[in-house]
Amino acid sequence: MKKLERRAILCLCLAAVLIIGLGLFVYLQFRDGGDWAAYPANKHIYKDGHLATGSIYDVNGTLLLENTKDGPKYNSDYSKRVATLHAVGDNEGNIATGANTAFGDKLVGYNFINGVYSTNEKGRSLYLTIDSDICEVASEAMGDHDGTIGVYNYETGEIICMVSKPDYDPQDPPQVEEGDDSGIYMNKLISATIVPGSTFKLVTSAAAIDTIEDIDSFSYTCTGVKQYATADVDKVSCPYAHGTVDFEGALAKSCNCAFAELSEMIGQATMEEYAKKSGLTSQYKINGIKTAKGSAEFPESGVNLAWASIGQYHDLVNPAAMMIYAGAIANGGKAAQPRLIDSVKFSNGWPASIPWEPKTDELIGRSTANTLSRLMKNNVEVSYGGESNFPGLDLYAKSGTAQLGGDQEPHSWFTGFIKNEGSPYAFVVVVEHGGWGSETAGSIANEVLQAVVNR
Amino acid sequence: MYESFSAAAQPLMEKLSGLFESYPILATYYTTVARWIFVALALFILIRSILSLLRSKNPSEIWAYLALPDGNNRPLRHWENVLGRAKSADVHIDIMTVSRNHGTLCRDASGNWRYNDLGSTGGSEVNGKPVTGSTRVKPGDTITMGGADCVLVPASVREKEENLRVRKTFTTRFAPWSCLVALTIFQIMACIQFIAAKGADFPAPVLFGFMIFTVIMWTTCIVLRAMGSTAFEMETIVFFLCTLNLCVVATASPERIMTQLIAIVAGIILFFGLCWYLRDLDRGLKIRRLLVILGALLLLVNLAFGHNEFGAANWISIPGLGTFQPSELVKIAFIFIGSATLDELYQKKNLTLFIAFSIFCLGCLAVMGDFGTAAIFFVTFVIISFLRSGEFSKLVLIGAVSVVGILLMIRFQPYIATRFTTCFHAWDDPDNLGYQQTRAMSAGSSGGLFGMGGGNGWFHEVGASDKDLVFSILSEEWGLVIAVLAVLSIVTLGVFAVRSIMAGRSSFYTIAACAATSLFIFQTTLNVLGSLNILPFTGVTFPFVSNGGTSMMASWGLLAFLKAADTRQDASIAVRKENTLEEGGMS
Repeated sequence: MKKLERRAILCLCLAAVLIIGLGLFVYLQFRDGGDWAAYPANKHIYKDGHLATGSIYDVNGTLLLENTKDGPKYNSDYSKRVATLHAVGDNEGNIATGANTAFGDKLVGYNFINGVYSTNEKGRSLYLTIDSDICEVASEAMGDHDGTIGVYNYETGEIICMVSKPDYDPQDPPQVEEGDDSGIYMNKLISATIVPGSTFKLVTSAAAIDTIEDIDSFSYTCTGVKQYATADVDKVSCPYAHGTVDFEGALAKSCNCAFAELSEMIGQATMEEYAKKSGLTSQYKINGIKTAKGSAEFPESGVNLAWASIGQYHDLVNPAAMMIYAGAIANGGKAAQPRLIDSVKFSNGWPASIPWEPKTDELIGRSTANTLSRLMKNNVEVSYGGESNFPGLDLYAKSGTAQLGGDQEPHSWFTGFIKNEGSPYAFVVVVEHGGWGSETAGSIANEVLQAVVNR
Repeated sequence: MYESFSAAAQPLMEKLSGLFESYPILATYYTTVARWIFVALALFILIRSILSLLRSKNPSEIWAYLALPDGNNRPLRHWENVLGRAKSADVHIDIMTVSRNHGTLCRDASGNWRYNDLGSTGGSEVNGKPVTGSTRVKPGDTITMGGADCVLVPASVREKEENLRVRKTFTTRFAPWSCLVALTIFQIMACIQFIAAKGADFPAPVLFGFMIFTVIMWTTCIVLRAMGSTAFEMETIVFFLCTLNLCVVATASPERIMTQLIAIVAGIILFFGLCWYLRDLDRGLKIRRLLVILGALLLLVNLAFGHNEFGAANWISIPGLGTFQPSELVKIAFIFIGSATLDELYQKKNLTLFIAFSIFCLGCLAVMGDFGTAAIFFVTFVIISFLRSGEFSKLVLIGAVSVVGILLMIRFQPYIATRFTTCFHAWDDPDNLGYQQTRAMSAGSSGGLFGMGGGNGWFHEVGASDKDLVFSILSEEWGLVIAVLAVLSIVTLGVFAVRSIMAGRSSFYTIAACAATSLFIFQTTLNVLGSLNILPFTGVTFPFVSNGGTSMMASWGLLAFLKAADTRQDASIAVRKENTLEEGGMS
């Protein structure tokens, strides 16, 4: 009998397995319950697969979308609907990162304790950080181009502008054919990875400032071509011969040959380190929405190390990550984590969320950031037309023209930040097949930023 | 009669639903408040029962003494004792000529002691006569083991009184009345909640069903109390689970409420019947052969006439009575056959019968395609084997064989393989392979801790949700707290059974209680964790809670094994009272 008593412990082991498994489940429900409840099969909050509760507003309190049992009600203004499409999302769940899908749990007022139970069945009011007026300006500035525009406050993290194209009117959704790759349902600011072109020189520059001794005395004579081997393709080229440039001039003129030289001096390992540190290859979470992860691959040396260091080769960068990097340069190395939710309120207007403003890791050293800021200011003045092209803006920027090979028009990038009084904003503009970076994307950026400082 | 009673419930229902219809806000506020009260009531009922169960001890009893050659008297604390040189022997005799497990000294229900030799090296004698088989030992008789003389000394009257006193003091009386009142409030409020949720659509027979159940619950406890019973924790816990079962049935298939009620009544009768039967150890032993035959027949009938429902051909239709699952009832027989007294544990042929029966059961279940139940039988088999042999190496061997078995199963039944791959990855394919689990989790999490209110769910629309995914129905409509409490109820039954065997009288009861407990716990584990994406989804029922008549009856039947291990004074109708001192052959 004594032996038997001891063996009975086995039953307790089984019970322990059950308790541990149950504990694990309760923890998972605590962690992910919101996502589970927000799954479109949940008939408590979805009607025929459509969210039937909750409203979305912009930061000014403009109603952008109201989910009702009779279907969605969007803003009455067509251009507002289109401009905020990807931020707000649709009622069909096609735009996965749209607030209406990604923040479904908040719209229905899910919490661990109450689930989705609601006495009045009205759901919550979700106030986004975006300003629909700015989005409208951005959407119009973009015109018929595809691409994306993002503007965010690098001190508080609020994303005030988030536009992605192609777009459509959510009130009258188009038939999208299977296999369509235009990215109509994709919020490119969050989900795209795009060849960064010369905007990547901001990373290479940070590495150069930190690791090359007497970088101030750097000098390079650009003949328009830097040949690596005998074959014709083994070269780095510039659009024209930049002549003799120093480091500042190399960045201002975006001289590929000079940066090829710099990449050789910095070396593979350091480039890898700085690409990683910059956050351009990391994944961010914007109120839980995951950004696409960029990638950069640095060969040991030679022509491809050079191309990788000037934003070509296999480099791919997510626009939002670039915007955050610009914000970090502006903010002395660390930027605020971008966020899209301003507040969540009960249907009677009482607050239902706690404000929270976390910072990113240090993406760039403080003094390096300050040096780089100075260089970016110089870019604007020397290469982008300064005050005449960007009147009234205290602008710091870098353009990019991402070569795509073949006969394709390059993607046009413009990223940076402004330090105008009361307007600490970082931005990124990507115009697909937009041609010359500072021209196409630069002028769009100006239109948007003018609206931002005059808010 | 049913119609007339049902008609009697109708006006009450119409009045309530009319009230809620004219003031819809009333229904909303009722649910808002009631969902908290339900949780509070459930907590009250369970915490009271669980604390009482865990606080009470099963006192160790002294049934007689064995006087050893060194002059010491060793108490015999069980009905079945191993005598030997091993440290683990119940009576440890530290003499070199005594074998490690020399012999067994067992008492039957009427107080007669018998000695048997376990094939010892030195042999045994009773009063100088060599022992060849089970031999009666009277008080004062001398048992000689390997030359060492021991004398059976009866427990004195004072000690018997002490036994009784200790048992009585250790038995904290558990008055079930406050819990029953709380449960009754729960049931009444649940009915109102259903009417608030469903309005006039709510079928009156369900209301009537709840009323009958309330009456059954009170009657059972009053009758037990009248019979002198003092412990009601298990019954209270199980009545709570049955109430949840009725709530599930009311929401998922209200038309089955009467069938389910009949199953509960049949279960309770089975429970009492088995408890009475288990009072007498000899009776329990005698019926085993019959049960082997019956169990085997049931499975064979199942194989021949079974039809497929929810992926396994383990259902039999009986015209006019509905469907039932024979494999559920075979569980009871399985435990009867697996359990053994100490004497039997040392006889090989007993184990052979058990192993043969196990293989037969597993084979039948595999042919039916009921791999969930097969897994339950298998784990129970492993537990019983381990309890009987205690060999850890055997456990490892069985484990290895089972891994091979699972691999073979996956090889020949590809759909099982997909269940294994879906486990933990339901959200990767939410509308196909993970269909049931994702809906279970989505609906379940919607309820939060306090639920959406009974009758306010949609998850019951998912196939088999009231059986295999019942945890999520509870979680959706009644809240995660109540769903977790339901699981903890099962665990409590288990922990209590394990504790009570510490003072076990016969290894038969001990093994049976442990096996029944393990079966409950493992079945709950498969049901709950399988539906929640943590284990492969097997489609087995949650004891007492899932909708299903046979499962309900089998659960009550298995409960009898737990009750039989409860040796607290007057705690259990499955334990014959020992408070009459004159009883038995010792005095």
